[in-house]
Amino acid sequence: MITWKRIKLENFSFPKIYDYKKEFIRLEEELPLGIRLDKIYDTVDKTKINWLNTSEGNGLGKEFISFVNEFYNSGVSLYLERNSLIEKPIVVEFNMDKENPTVVDKNIIVAEPNSQATIVFDYSTDEGVEAFHNGFTEIHAGENSSLTIIKVQRMNDISQNFDTNIAYVKGEGKVNWITAELGSQISGSNFTTFLDEVASESNLSSIYLGDGHRKMDLSYSMIHKGPRSISNIESRGALMDNAKKVFRGNLDFKRGSRLAKGGEEEYVLLLDPTVKSDSIPALLCEEDDVQGEHAASAGQINENQLFYLMSRGLSEREAKKLIIEGAFRPVIDRIPLEELKQIIDSEIERRLVNA
Amino acid sequence: MARELLNIKGLKVNIDDKEILKGLDLNINKGEIHIIMGPNGSGKSTLAYTLMGHPKYEITDGTIEFDGELINEMKADERAKKGIFLSFQYPEEIPGVTVEDFLRTAKTSVTGKMQGIMAFKKLLKEKMDLLEMKEEYASRYLNLGFSGGEKKKNEILQMSILEPKLAILDETDSGLDVDAIRIVAEGVKRIKDESRSILVITHYNKLLDYLEPDYIHILLDGKIVKTGGMELAKEIDEEGYENIKLRYSHI
Ligand SMILES: Nc1ncnc2c1ncn2[C@@H]1O[C@H](COP(=O)(O)OP(=O)(O)O)[C@@H](O)[C@H]1O
Ligand SMILES: [Mg+2]
Repeated sequence: MITWKRIKLENFSFPKIYDYKKEFIRLEEELPLGIRLDKIYDTVDKTKINWLNTSEGNGLGKEFISFVNEFYNSGVSLYLERNSLIEKPIVVEFNMDKENPTVVDKNIIVAEPNSQATIVFDYSTDEGVEAFHNGFTEIHAGENSSLTIIKVQRMNDISQNFDTNIAYVKGEGKVNWITAELGSQISGSNFTTFLDEVASESNLSSIYLGDGHRKMDLSYSMIHKGPRSISNIESRGALMDNAKKVFRGNLDFKRGSRLAKGGEEEYVLLLDPTVKSDSIPALLCEEDDVQGEHAASAGQINENQLFYLMSRGLSEREAKKLIIEGAFRPVIDRIPLEELKQIIDSEIERRLVNA
Repeated sequence: MARELLNIKGLKVNIDDKEILKGLDLNINKGEIHIIMGPNGSGKSTLAYTLMGHPKYEITDGTIEFDGELINEMKADERAKKGIFLSFQYPEEIPGVTVEDFLRTAKTSVTGKMQGIMAFKKLLKEKMDLLEMKEEYASRYLNLGFSGGEKKKNEILQMSILEPKLAILDETDSGLDVDAIRIVAEGVKRIKDESRSILVITHYNKLLDYLEPDYIHILLDGKIVKTGGMELAKEIDEEGYENIKLRYSHI
């Protein structure tokens, strides 16, 4: 049994995991040469996976990761050969329903030097289904590769979500994370990036919405090992009703990360006095010659802005939704998929206006 | 059809328990243009905000009737739907929300009819052309990084899209050059017709020359102390508020 104090998760034990029988890979066209996408349990070439070094990084915790390794029922392995490139995003979607209420996905993405891809993971549930998701996504970004990983979590309010993401980035390789946390009753999500070599780079953009009784634990870590490595975390959130959130942003400059640069910024809108929002930024330096900056701010919706919008006929909820979407806009605009932007917009609308 | 659009009787308004409007009366009929002039701090913006329904402005006494209905308790969005519009003295900046998206949402709310994206684009372009606004403003974030003059023009753009029955302009001409004042005045005149009225708060005679108002009111210390025609504007212009105060503040 696991106890997780930060979000008051007590005596937690994993539920029974059922098979996930639905198709979860959506491909609109054939993959270009040099790119292999398989269901994780179909991966014939196990060796490819075995050489991976997964000892570093605990994500949400050893229990969650080893549970995935033991019980995964879905997930993908994506292998990008040297110089391969896919322009259209690959979409992996999990919709948990009555027959498939549990997703334990193990995803492995290996990008050889100079390769490039965008992968979307979308987690949703049917109404009324008590779903469970525990995932582990592991990324290896080779020299000068560029990967964009987009995770959208919009599960219903009676479901549980746990997600660990760990990336290892080589010289001049780049991993962009975009995460939208919009749903579930309890959500723990962890993104850890190891910037292992010279000029390794990672950007993490996150938006989150807490409504109802949601409890969220978001933790983002950038671990700088390589000289001149670069990281940036930008998080925009909104909390209402009785939502609780703990945000932890870690910039960790290890020995050897000379001239590395890291920045993190969190901005959260507090819509009701009943919400609880904790932000714990941490800056750790073993090197002197590094630059780390963090800024966290929390604000209420400005009464005059609200009045301005309402004076044009918008109801209070519509006006608030517009202000929140406006705050989320810089992150949403980074999503290179019109359809996904709309899914996010309508999920926010559903939660804010139709509630 | 009743001629009366706005009827304010004995209006008293507090901000943070301090009385700002101290028994104000004002009648505006359909199709009329009214001007309110008065020194800084006399309560002009307070009147404008109160008419629009700002929650911070507490009505302690008196009545506001609009189009035959008591609106004292109405929220801002309901008033907007009834046809009241305020061009803000200091328009708010809303990051991440484009002028076009915002105005389409507003038009949908005010009319209760969905606005087709293409049809609305066309309408917006038309109105922007009339106000000599560059097309790119449509996709900029609402008032963000706009100059003072651009913000004011944007208010008039919103007014021409929403077509209110009563448009209240709170110092819309302040900070505008003469060309911009002309463009704003033309915009105002275009929406004014038999059934629509305008209430303009201003310090300058330039706008008055364009608008040819029906009435000018002087607001001093929370009350309208004098109502007249264009000659009042001249009187203020020539003598300044100090003398005006001496002459009328006993009222
Ligand atoms: N939000 C506010 N909080 C406190 N006092 C205010 C506020 N707004 C205006 N006042 C006060 O109310 C009075 C009238 O202000 P206002 O209506 O803005 O005047 P005007 O627009 O005529 O210059 C002034 O004394 C001003 O200081
Ligand atoms: Mg004023």
